[in-house]
Amino acid sequence: MMTRRTTIAAAAALAAAAPAARAQAQAAASGPAERPLFGAAQWRLANGLEVVFVENRRAPVVAQYLFYAAGGAEDPAGRSGVAHFLEHMMFKGSPNVPSGELSRRVAREGGNDNAFTSRDVTAYYQQVEASRLPMIMAMEADRFAAALIPADQLESERRVVLEERRQRTDSSARARFQEAFRAALWGPQTWPGRPIIGWEDEIRAITRDDITGFHARFYAPANATLVVAGAVAEAELRALAEEHYGKVPPRAAATRDRARAPEAPHEPRLIRREPTAREALFLRAWMAPSLTAGETRHALPLEALAHLLGGGQGSRLHAALVETGLAVSAGAGYDGEAAGETEFTIWAVPRRGVTPERLEQEAAAVVARLLQDGPTEEEVARSTRQLSAGALLSLDSFGAAPRMLGGVLAIGLPAEVVEFWPARLRAVTRPQVAAAARAVLGRDADTVGWLLPEAA
Amino acid sequence: MSNGFTLPIRVVEADGLSAWLVEDHTVPVVSISWSWAGGAARDAAGQEGTAAMAAALLTEGAGELRALAFADALRDAAIGLNFSAGRDAFEGGFRCLTDALPEALRLARLAMTAPRFDADAVERVRARAIAGARQALETPRGQAGRAFWASAFPGHPAGRPATGTAESLAAVPVEAMRATLAAQMRRDGLLIAASGAIRPAELAALLPALFGGLPAGAPEAPPTLPPFTAFGRQVVLVASPQSQVVLGQPGIAPNDPDWEAAQVVLRILGGGGFSSRLMEAVRVQRGLTYGIGVGLETMFGGGVVTCAFATENAKVAEALQVTRGVWSDLAQHGPTQAELEEAVAYLTGSLPLQFTDSRRIAGTLLAMRRNRRALDWLDGRNARLRAITRDGAARVASAILKPQDLAVTVAGQPEGM
Repeated sequence: MMTRRTTIAAAAALAAAAPAARAQAQAAASGPAERPLFGAAQWRLANGLEVVFVENRRAPVVAQYLFYAAGGAEDPAGRSGVAHFLEHMMFKGSPNVPSGELSRRVAREGGNDNAFTSRDVTAYYQQVEASRLPMIMAMEADRFAAALIPADQLESERRVVLEERRQRTDSSARARFQEAFRAALWGPQTWPGRPIIGWEDEIRAITRDDITGFHARFYAPANATLVVAGAVAEAELRALAEEHYGKVPPRAAATRDRARAPEAPHEPRLIRREPTAREALFLRAWMAPSLTAGETRHALPLEALAHLLGGGQGSRLHAALVETGLAVSAGAGYDGEAAGETEFTIWAVPRRGVTPERLEQEAAAVVARLLQDGPTEEEVARSTRQLSAGALLSLDSFGAAPRMLGGVLAIGLPAEVVEFWPARLRAVTRPQVAAAARAVLGRDADTVGWLLPEAA
Repeated sequence: MSNGFTLPIRVVEADGLSAWLVEDHTVPVVSISWSWAGGAARDAAGQEGTAAMAAALLTEGAGELRALAFADALRDAAIGLNFSAGRDAFEGGFRCLTDALPEALRLARLAMTAPRFDADAVERVRARAIAGARQALETPRGQAGRAFWASAFPGHPAGRPATGTAESLAAVPVEAMRATLAAQMRRDGLLIAASGAIRPAELAALLPALFGGLPAGAPEAPPTLPPFTAFGRQVVLVASPQSQVVLGQPGIAPNDPDWEAAQVVLRILGGGGFSSRLMEAVRVQRGLTYGIGVGLETMFGGGVVTCAFATENAKVAEALQVTRGVWSDLAQHGPTQAELEEAVAYLTGSLPLQFTDSRRIAGTLLAMRRNRRALDWLDGRNARLRAITRDGAARVASAILKPQDLAVTVAGQPEGM
């Protein structure tokens, strides 16, 4: 995820939203099952803007998140980085807010603001003392309707984006390898295979028309979700949303229009030798369905599969690679909350002296055994239990509710995916996990990657 | 601007232990954090990382529970239990749902009083720490940080990496890990903070159960912070298209009467967000970096002002010149009235946002205790900030900011230096 601000500043700003007293009371009263996690209210304005509200009186603060259903994967062909560049330019002024003034005004009120671009969404957010909600809504709606994107600030901001790319990616052998790995799996010019921040030559080629075109195409009310969480009453928020966002003119809703994701890996094998790398890294990723694409029924079982295969101590990869002394660490990852196809990944950092061949064989053997015998009942029960045990802890984070809810709504899923995820995950069965494993890990649609220290 | 926001902090005492508590029953979650003086400062020379490894091993099996059983007990109940060794303090803490509090208590106590140090766990944790130490040096950022602190505080624990090096970690015997825990995990000198859905009486009952098994006697105080070594300029060559730059100079201690004025001055110079002078001059005006920030790091009872940014190798000299210029100008002329008002408005208005999650609240309370703040320190903070005048801020800027003494570490392949 790319953000407009440095990681350090972003971490400080990521305090984030508190969850609804309503949902908490329900959850506490009834136990974990069948109650919505956040108890969000949801409605739509006449111009098409979806509004989601989570009341939360824990502290006298409020968070506003505006999600657009467009991210790096919506960048035009040959112009990777446009969604992210636009995110930067959204801070350069709108009719009633001069360049840089939004952040300055939020800070003057003691608040934080930032934005981020992922593969699937772009989001802008502020956290302020609750009485300042009208002010941040007015400013966000102003740039929603008409961001200036001033031509005379494009080049200095392009330099900033290039420095961001150097900082995040180019100055780290590990980050360069991970970028190249994704490109090897999907193809460097495909929507899932391009970096969100953009290839360097394409960042250099982006024009103002590319950026304004992206805004005109995707930043339409019907393509956006406003999530507000905090110490405000629903009736007040309804009136405020109408007053500020109701004015944003409706536009033809441009939905995602992506090419079909590739069905076979671009390169099945990627070997990178890097003089600055000091530890090796093994990655293997399979193309996988998500909650929105392909065999969506496999998505939740794949979350359980990732845990039992590579969720730390007690997982199969940990037992076979780490406890045997072959690897320093090993794991698996999968996130089904994606627009379109996604990937299921396993990884390991070999111990020095262990050959890549040996580690790769052992990892393959773990996968083969899992495919042959399937997981055990105990493994699936343990994984679903451990994954869902802490669901209510997200009520303890100010940003969790708006990020989770906005994240799923902006990829076209209903709020129930978030509100009822613990119960849904707990309902995953052993046969479902076995079927998901066969459907994904059993398919010949994967890429193996090695980052190797040059000396190795 | 949330003038009415106050934070009711209670002091809860039991059996000679004391905890600060912010009670909040809106969410069924409890966070407890605690710390001892010491941490990595006690590591023997050549065995850096001793306390950090010991901290990691506390949750790798305790009592009858081997590593996996211990991890499962935590994860089955979604208990986040962690120990860590900082440069001058050893910390522990957990966050859990209220239902899991008895289990969290049992496991935290077990970890502190009966860690197993099984040989396989020790070697696994050691291998992971060594790999992490090597990886930390893969980037200009990692190299710059390491070199900067080593040069600023040579021969002192402040100059050493708390997490150790590949070489030092390989040399740490298990006895040294046990010894550093025995020396610092004590009942006395323990600072405790709690937040969330727990009543004072419940917390009072919990404290002896959690810490009663620890030996008495306070840990030995770590050494004080020596003077900052203004080492001039150093370049660490790292193959990279971009250089990481770290600048630093002496800071002020948390007990300095100018502490809050310094917070205002440093926010104007390079605080979070986009309104600082450095962000405006280096990023917004010139596009020389993605981000530049200034911080006041406190350790060993003292403080260090640091500034960090990354820029293309060819731009290092220019970015450094701009940074020094901004530093000098603020030192010489102080802030404008408008800058002062904006910074004070942010620092006073942002308080409620610090108190939106239980871990963060407990962490803030613990930091207050470590800095020896009074219980009502936050209550008076806004009034103290608003009392700062432009001339007062200018005096503090002139006293604190030392552009001529800035020590600079550049890691990368900078040009024109």
